Amino acid sequence: MKRLRHFNWLMFAAMIALIAVGTAAIWSAGSARSETVFHGMWINNLVTAAFGLAVYLVLSFTDYRKLLDCFAVPSYAVSIALLAAVLIFGDTVYGGKRWLWFFQPSEISKICLIMLVSWLFGTPVDYSPVKKTAGFFGAWRFTFRGFALAAAVIGVPALLILAEPDLGTTLTLVPATVVMLLVARVWRRGLVAMALAGAVGAAAVLGAVYEAEKPGVPPQRRESILKLVPLKPHQIRRVRVFLFPEEDLQGAGYNLRQAKISIGSGGFSGKGLGKGETNHLKYLPQAISMNDFIFCVYAEEMGFVGSLALLVLFGCLLVPGCYVAFVSTDGRGRLLALGVSTLVFAHVYINIAMSIGLVPITGLPLPFISSGRTFLMTVMAGLGLVQSVSVHREEKQNEPVRMV
Amino acid sequence: MNRDESIVSDFACWAVAAVFVFGLAVLAVRLKEVQIEDAADYGYANVRQSVRRVQTDGDRGRIIDRNGVVLADNRRSISIVCNAAFFQKRTWEATAAAICAALSNAAETVGAPSPLTVRDIRRHINQSLAMPLVAWRDIGDERLARFCENERELPGFSVLESEERFYPQGSLAAHLIGYVGRDRGESEAGDEKFNFYLPEMRGRSGLEIYYDSFLRGVSGERKVLVDARGFAMREWTVVEPKRGPDLRISLDSRIQRCAEEQLRGMKGACAVVDPRNGDVLALVSSPGFDPNEFVPRLSYKLYSRYAGDPAKPLLNRASGGAYAPGSTFKPITALAGLENGFSAGERYYCNGAFILGAMHLRCASRWGHGPLDMRHALRESCNPYFCNLAVTVGSNAVIRAARAFGLGCKTGIDLGVDMAGTVPDGSWKMRMYGERWYPGDLPQMAIGQGMLLASPLQMALVAGAIGTGRLVVPRLKLDIGVRSERLPFSGRSLDVVREGMRMVVDGGTGRRGGEGIAVAVSGKTGTAEVGRGENRRKNAWFIAYAPSENPTAAVAMVVENGQSGGVTAAPRVRNVLAAMFGEKEAAEDGRR
Repeated sequence: MKRLRHFNWLMFAAMIALIAVGTAAIWSAGSARSETVFHGMWINNLVTAAFGLAVYLVLSFTDYRKLLDCFAVPSYAVSIALLAAVLIFGDTVYGGKRWLWFFQPSEISKICLIMLVSWLFGTPVDYSPVKKTAGFFGAWRFTFRGFALAAAVIGVPALLILAEPDLGTTLTLVPATVVMLLVARVWRRGLVAMALAGAVGAAAVLGAVYEAEKPGVPPQRRESILKLVPLKPHQIRRVRVFLFPEEDLQGAGYNLRQAKISIGSGGFSGKGLGKGETNHLKYLPQAISMNDFIFCVYAEEMGFVGSLALLVLFGCLLVPGCYVAFVSTDGRGRLLALGVSTLVFAHVYINIAMSIGLVPITGLPLPFISSGRTFLMTVMAGLGLVQSVSVHREEKQNEPVRMV
Repeated sequence: MNRDESIVSDFACWAVAAVFVFGLAVLAVRLKEVQIEDAADYGYANVRQSVRRVQTDGDRGRIIDRNGVVLADNRRSISIVCNAAFFQKRTWEATAAAICAALSNAAETVGAPSPLTVRDIRRHINQSLAMPLVAWRDIGDERLARFCENERELPGFSVLESEERFYPQGSLAAHLIGYVGRDRGESEAGDEKFNFYLPEMRGRSGLEIYYDSFLRGVSGERKVLVDARGFAMREWTVVEPKRGPDLRISLDSRIQRCAEEQLRGMKGACAVVDPRNGDVLALVSSPGFDPNEFVPRLSYKLYSRYAGDPAKPLLNRASGGAYAPGSTFKPITALAGLENGFSAGERYYCNGAFILGAMHLRCASRWGHGPLDMRHALRESCNPYFCNLAVTVGSNAVIRAARAFGLGCKTGIDLGVDMAGTVPDGSWKMRMYGERWYPGDLPQMAIGQGMLLASPLQMALVAGAIGTGRLVVPRLKLDIGVRSERLPFSGRSLDVVREGMRMVVDGGTGRRGGEGIAVAVSGKTGTAEVGRGENRRKNAWFIAYAPSENPTAAVAMVVENGQSGGVTAAPRVRNVLAAMFGEKEAAEDGRR
């Protein structure tokens, strides 16, 4: 009962509400598809959510510290193995090898990576007097050497996912892990410098594409500029659409245009559940209306009120995540809570922002709303871990640390 | 504070929370922009891409004669249409093939192969995908029944009702009523208000074209919701079309039918007018056609058959034909003489020919009529008399008189076909033929030959005008006001001519025109010679008004290739007048 006292009900309630909203959105998006197999997709989502809830509750009432100590490394190793396996045995869907049997290993690897990073950098420093030098959990972790270790553990899955290729998922790994490293103060000076460098690099890419694609640029000059941009042609196209959303509305700009028409035509109060026109008339690209563009389906039917409610729900999920980190006295718990929250936030932000033209279009699911079993399970498992951090905040059973 | 707790600071937790809240706030602000500020623009973009506007036409008004007989009506037309959306496949080519296959499958049930070709289907897919594809147009009851029985086995097909023009009286007054066709409607103002215009019924000739905008209803609007590929998903009516008003015309279908019977199998025309108010009671042109054959559209084959017919069945001879009026012009010549000092009682000796220089104009009576005054000259239709009269009073007097009767001008009838005819004069001849006005032209004109041309309708009006002293503008639509003007001739002059015309029927050349009719008839025969050499033919004319004292009907009839006005045209006019005024009582007949 003591455990239930620390159970974060707001976070839990927000999650349940989001699952309900997601199921409704999937019902609407699925019913618009001509293939009947999608009509029952919302049931699938509910079943998955039930399984996810079981996992969530189990994880919530399991001590995350034990879990991290025992499973952080093995689960990470398994996720790497799965990522490698998907490259070899995976099914090719929409030009990417992402599927292994019935799930997407890249989704699972996200949570495994967060667990590993939490364990690596959140475990208290071992100032053991027994050894002259600090052991594995010594203070070295917060210097450049620790950063190198982090770069290695993040780099391996990131490269494997990039090879699928799935730039979007790779991109969500970056904010989650970078935030974790930042708050853990791992080689902070270098990290900040690198983040700045990354921002400058992104700006440079945007600027270069802008220079190349702006009207009136001779083709030769355009070619020579684009040659310098380290992106694939379809990615350059997406950046171009982001920069010039009003051009090529029937071609590359079609998806963004339709996404905006969906969301915008929803207006203040929306057209009503199941009555979204762009979705039901198939103007919204059908292949991704249930996944990457499901926010458009939702926003058209529920309007600005619904969008705002959704943002508030996500806020009720994310801010309590930070609160859980705050009340936890354990570094692992704090990192875990912040890492999972940032992962969810990155998905939410990028997914919604891309459909209203704030960031270039990237194939990312919207947590709880998009249909995607692996991702739903992953997110629920991650939130289960956060709940566990909340539930086990004061129990200091595993106290190997001796104070100096 | 030990190292343990400071791995992640409290500040960091809240800093991350702040980033989250800031990020969500950015999204909220941008969403407000998209969903509230730009909502109208995106809503419009949504409507523009997904809603097609269709103009629908209102039912056309009927055409009804003065007694309430419906001359042009609408009937229900059933078509079987194919909903392309039902057969959609991944590619357009496959969709067209699927529709094609479904059509041939349905053809067995319906009992007739669909007239649509693969090209038609492709064109439909490319151009009007949102509209239903008409597979069988205007099917009969039997095929409809067969289709309805098996409708469940033919998904994607449905029945579409529309209105089609129908002429219940068949070929009656076909030239006058005209016919309709369907236009692949284009917007009239050239605007792009609608995406589709349903083929609209438009008048093609006759009253249907003259009163097209009157008869046409007010078009309505439908909207069709289309999906991303352009298939129709749902449709609804925005504005109901309105039915056009009925057109009541002055025609009397009883008289019209009688007159048509008189001219059956012949080339000719007849016009019956009420000289008091200009009501056109009958307007016959023979041969005719059945306008029902032209609905819903005139096929090229049928059109070329009609257009290639030497009898020109599509020509409205009654108001659009130009004939030499022949001797029916003589009353006008007579009036020209009377108004210019020529005395009615002065006798002229007819010796069978009128000679002017080298010209030798024969009289109908080979050896001449002997001495004649004007009344008798009219009665016997003596050519030399009127040639002499015209030469005496001069060209201008005759031309002025002809123009006073409206010859050479359009009659002003509310019908597109309105032949002005010709009243030749010096400048006209110079313009047309590059020749000056010869003295010989005048006697030709005096007897209605030469370059003088008039339509039967005009001649009917002439007859009526002589009878009433007023020239009326003919009218078909009943609620047009009466327009007439007094003839610029004295009553005495008119009386002389009236007496002459009465004598024509009462024992003169036109005696067969008034035999056994309950009222007194006045008239004038005419036998116009047209063509030269082998093509030489005679057009038989008879113009009349009745009753002689207070005329209520004026008739003009021309029969091409007739024997003479008195033999060919007069008895036919008599039958028309008999139908109007009744036969004379047998007793009365016996006394006479």
